[in-house]
Amino acid sequence: MTLRQLLAAGMLCAAALVQTAVLAADIPSLGDKLPPHKSTADHSKFKELDKVFKTGPEVTKACLACHNDAAKQVQHTKHWTWEVIDPKTGQKLGKKNIINNFCTSTVSNEKDCMACHAGYGWEDKTFDFSKEESVDCLVCHDSTGTYRKLPGDAGHPIYVRKEFPAGSGKFVEPVDLQKVAQGVAMPTRTNCGTCHFFGAGGDGTKHGDLDSSLRNPPKFLDVHMDAKGLNFSCVNCHKTSQHQVAGSRYELAASRTGKPQPQGKVDDNPASCQSCHGDKPHKESLLHAERLNTHTDTLACQTCHIPEYSRGSVGTEKVWDWSTATKMGPDGKPVLKKDSIGRRAFDSKKGDFVWDSYLKPEYRWFNGKVAFTTRGDKIDPTKTVEINHPEGKPNEPGARIWPFKVHRGKQAYDPELKNLLVVHTAGEDHTALWHNFDWPKAITTGMETAGLPWSGKYDFVSTEMSWPIAHMVAPKGDAVPCAQCHQAEGRLAGIDGIWLPGVHKNELIDTVGWLAAALALIGTLIHGIVRLCVPCRKPRSKA
Amino acid sequence: MIDPVRPGYVYLYKRYERFWHWAQAALIIFMMITGFEIHGAYENFGFKRAVELHTLSAWTLLILWAFTIFWQFTTGEWRQYIPTFKKVGAMVHYYSIGIFTHAPHPFHKTTSSKHNPLQRLAYLALLSMVSPIIWGSGLLYLFFAYWKDFGLDKWLSLQGVALTHTAGAFMMLVFFIAHVYLTTTGHTPFAHIKTMITGWEEADEH
Amino acid sequence: MLKIITGTIVGLVLGALIALGVASQMAGSMMFQERVSPFTVEETVARIQQNILAAGNGWALFGLRYPARPVEAEGGNVLPVMLIEACSVKYSGPILKDDKVRFLSLLMPCKIAVYKKSDGKVYIGIMNAGLIGKLFGSMVGETMADVVRDQEKFLVMDPTKPAPPMVIPKVGEGGGGGAGGSAGGC
Repeated sequence: MTLRQLLAAGMLCAAALVQTAVLAADIPSLGDKLPPHKSTADHSKFKELDKVFKTGPEVTKACLACHNDAAKQVQHTKHWTWEVIDPKTGQKLGKKNIINNFCTSTVSNEKDCMACHAGYGWEDKTFDFSKEESVDCLVCHDSTGTYRKLPGDAGHPIYVRKEFPAGSGKFVEPVDLQKVAQGVAMPTRTNCGTCHFFGAGGDGTKHGDLDSSLRNPPKFLDVHMDAKGLNFSCVNCHKTSQHQVAGSRYELAASRTGKPQPQGKVDDNPASCQSCHGDKPHKESLLHAERLNTHTDTLACQTCHIPEYSRGSVGTEKVWDWSTATKMGPDGKPVLKKDSIGRRAFDSKKGDFVWDSYLKPEYRWFNGKVAFTTRGDKIDPTKTVEINHPEGKPNEPGARIWPFKVHRGKQAYDPELKNLLVVHTAGEDHTALWHNFDWPKAITTGMETAGLPWSGKYDFVSTEMSWPIAHMVAPKGDAVPCAQCHQAEGRLAGIDGIWLPGVHKNELIDTVGWLAAALALIGTLIHGIVRLCVPCRKPRSKA
Repeated sequence: MIDPVRPGYVYLYKRYERFWHWAQAALIIFMMITGFEIHGAYENFGFKRAVELHTLSAWTLLILWAFTIFWQFTTGEWRQYIPTFKKVGAMVHYYSIGIFTHAPHPFHKTTSSKHNPLQRLAYLALLSMVSPIIWGSGLLYLFFAYWKDFGLDKWLSLQGVALTHTAGAFMMLVFFIAHVYLTTTGHTPFAHIKTMITGWEEADEH
Repeated sequence: MLKIITGTIVGLVLGALIALGVASQMAGSMMFQERVSPFTVEETVARIQQNILAAGNGWALFGLRYPARPVEAEGGNVLPVMLIEACSVKYSGPILKDDKVRFLSLLMPCKIAVYKKSDGKVYIGIMNAGLIGKLFGSMVGETMADVVRDQEKFLVMDPTKPAPPMVIPKVGEGGGGGAGGSAGGC
C-alpha cells in the first residue's frame, strides 16, 4: 500500500465516522429503559392477575385465560400423572404405582406426598386428572421464592397461617398468591429443586446428586450450574417442549453416541452429556485424548466426571431401616435423634437412618432401562430385594458402566404372600403409622386402599434402590484419576466384561513369565559363580 | 583383521551402531520398568505417568528403528543377522564347558562377522519373534481407539492383545537378563561392554 | 586388591544409601500416624471433640478448620478434611515460658486431622508428639509424654454411645478457610 492509498483510506474512514455520528443523533431517544426481565410479557401489568386470589386453582384459571393449552400439555406429563407405562412390559410405573425404599408408597398417603404434585387436591384415587384448573402452574413458574406447599394439604399452597411441623412452635405464613402470579417466569434451579432437591422428605435425602446446595452452586460442585460461571438452569439440559421435560430416569439415554448436536436441533433426548459434548469429547492432550475417547465406549461420562456425589455438608441418606420404626423412648413417647451435624438418625415414626457426604458411587452396567419390583410383585425375602434393577449386560451396544447411589434399607413385606407392603403412614386418622404407631392397622389401610390382599402378617426385608448419578459434575481437572480404576481393588473392582490394564492378569502368563525370568537370573548367576570358582585347568593365554 | 590405525584392536562397532545399541538399551529398560508398572507389578511413577512415559518411549524407539533399518540396509550390516548353524555346537560346548576351563573362544569377531553363531540365532529370534509380538500387540494396544474404524474389533479383544504384549514383555525380560550376563563372558568381565562403548575390540591372538 | 577396595567402597555406599532410604521412609511414619475411623468424618470429629472436652487437664477446643474449603473456593475438588485444634494451658504454659523452646509454639495448638481418602474410608491423622518432645530436653519430653497420653484418650470411641453433635466454632473468627477459636483454652 502506498502512502497515498493509506491517506485516502484514512479519510474515507473519518468521513464514515462523522456520518454515523450524525445519524445517531437523528434517532429519537427511548424514554424507557430495557425491561429487566427476559420475557416479552410483564405479568405484573396484566389486569387478569391484578386481583386477590384465594386458591391455587383460581390462579390457574387466570393463567389458562391466555395460555389456553398449557394445562392440557401439563396433563400429559409425568409431573401430572405420576405414572409411566413401561413400553416393553406394560408394567405401570411412576410414583403413583411403585413402592420405593424411602417413604415406600404414595397410595393412601396422598395428602402428604402430593405436596410435590404439580396439581391441587390429589387426596385419594377419586382425584379428577382431567380438571384443568387443578394444574399447579406456580410451583414451577414462581420467581418470588415465596410459594410453598406443605405435606398434609394435598398439593395446595399455604392459604392460612399454621404451625409446621405440628408442635414445633414454628409458623408458616400464607402465600401471597397475587404476588406469585404476577411474578411468574421460566423455571430456575430453585423451582425444580422445590421437589427434586427434597425427594423423600428432606434435603438431599433421595438422589445424592441433587440437593439444595445446587440452588447456588460453586464451580467445584457443578461445572455447568456454577452460579458465578455457566450458571445453567435445569432446563438448559432438560430441554422442555410442550411442558414435556427431557431426561427422565424412566427413559434414560445411557449411551448416546455421535457428534454433538447444535442447540435447537431436534434430539430424541437432549438431557445427556453427549448431546452437547459428543461421544469423543477429549481433545486436550495428544498423549491421552484418543485413549480417553476410547473409554467412552465403555464408561458413561458421569463415571469419571462425578468422582463423588453429595459433595457438601447436606449429604444424602444411605440407609433407611423401617424395622425400628414405632420404637419409643424410655418414657414411651416418640423419639427423634440426630447425627453429628443435625441430619435425622432415628425417628420413632420412621426408623433408623444413615447419612453421609462425599460418597464414592457404586458402578454398574446400565443400558438406560430399569426393571422395577412394584406392588404385588413376588419377592424372594432370603435375598436383598432390588426394587429397581438397572438393566444392561457387559459390552451390550447400548450399555455403559454408570455410577449409582445405592440406597439400602429394610421395609415391610408380607412373609406369606411374598410381596412388599403398602403402608398408610401419613395422616391424622387412627390407622396412620406416624400418628398411631401401629403397624397392622397402618398396613391394613394401606393394602386396602391399594386394593391388594394382605395375609395379616408382616416382617421386614432388605431392599436396595439404585439411583443413576448425573449431576454434580466436577471441573475436568477433578475427573477420577486413572489409577483409581487401574489398580487392584479399584473403583471398578467386580465389574464384568472389561479388561483393565494394571488390574487384570493371566495367572499362567504371569507365573510362567516371572518363573522364566527368575530361572534366567538364577541360571546366569550359577553360571557366573562356577566360572569364577572353578580352578583354572589351562592358564589364560593372552597377548 | 587387525586395524592398521590401532594395532591389536579391531574397530567392530561404528558410531551409529553404538548410539543405536545404547539408546535402544535405555529405551527397552525404561519400557520394561514402565511396562511392568502398567501391568500392576509395582508402583513407581503412578499408572497415568507410567502409561505416558511408556507411550513416549515407544514412539522414540520407533523413530530410532526407522533410522536403524535405513542404516542396516545402506551399510549392508543387516547381513550380520543372517543365521548360520556353523559352529553352533562349538558355541554351546563353549558356554557349557569350555568357558569354565578357559578354553579358547571358538569364534573370532571380525568386522564382517560381529556376532557368534549363537548370537546370530538369538538376535534373529528376537527380531523375528519377540519384536513382532511386542510391536504388533503394542501398536494395536496403542491404537485401540481406532479398531472400530478398521473393523478390527470383530477380530481382536483387548484382553488377547494385552496378554500377548505381556508375554512378549516377559520374553524380552528373559533376553535382557541373558544378554546382560553374556556381556560379561569376554576375556575380562567388562571387555564386551567396553567394546560396545568404544567400538574397539581387543583382537584375540590364538 | 584394587577390586576388594572398590568392592568395599561400593558396598559401604550402597549400604549407607539403603539405610538412609529406610530411615527416611521410617521417619515419616514415625512422626505421623494414621488410623481408620468407623464413623463418618463429622461423627469422628464430634466424638473426638467430645473426648477432648471430657479429658480434663485443662483441655479445650481451640478451633475447627476445613483445609479443603479454600481449594473448593478456587473451584477444585478435594475430599473432606477437618482439623480439630485443641489446647491445654497446663502443657502449653511451661513450654511457652521457656525461651529455649518457645519456638515449639509452632506446634500449638495440638491438631488432629480427620479426612476421607479415595478408598471411601475415614482416617484420623495424628502427630507423634512424644517423639518430637524427646528431641528437646526433659521438660518438653515429659510434657509431650503427658500430651500423648491424653491424645490417646481423645481417640477412644465407643460405637454403642450415640453420636454427639459436632461443635462448630463461630464462623468468621478465623481466616483463610478456617473457623477460629471457640472456647480457646490457650
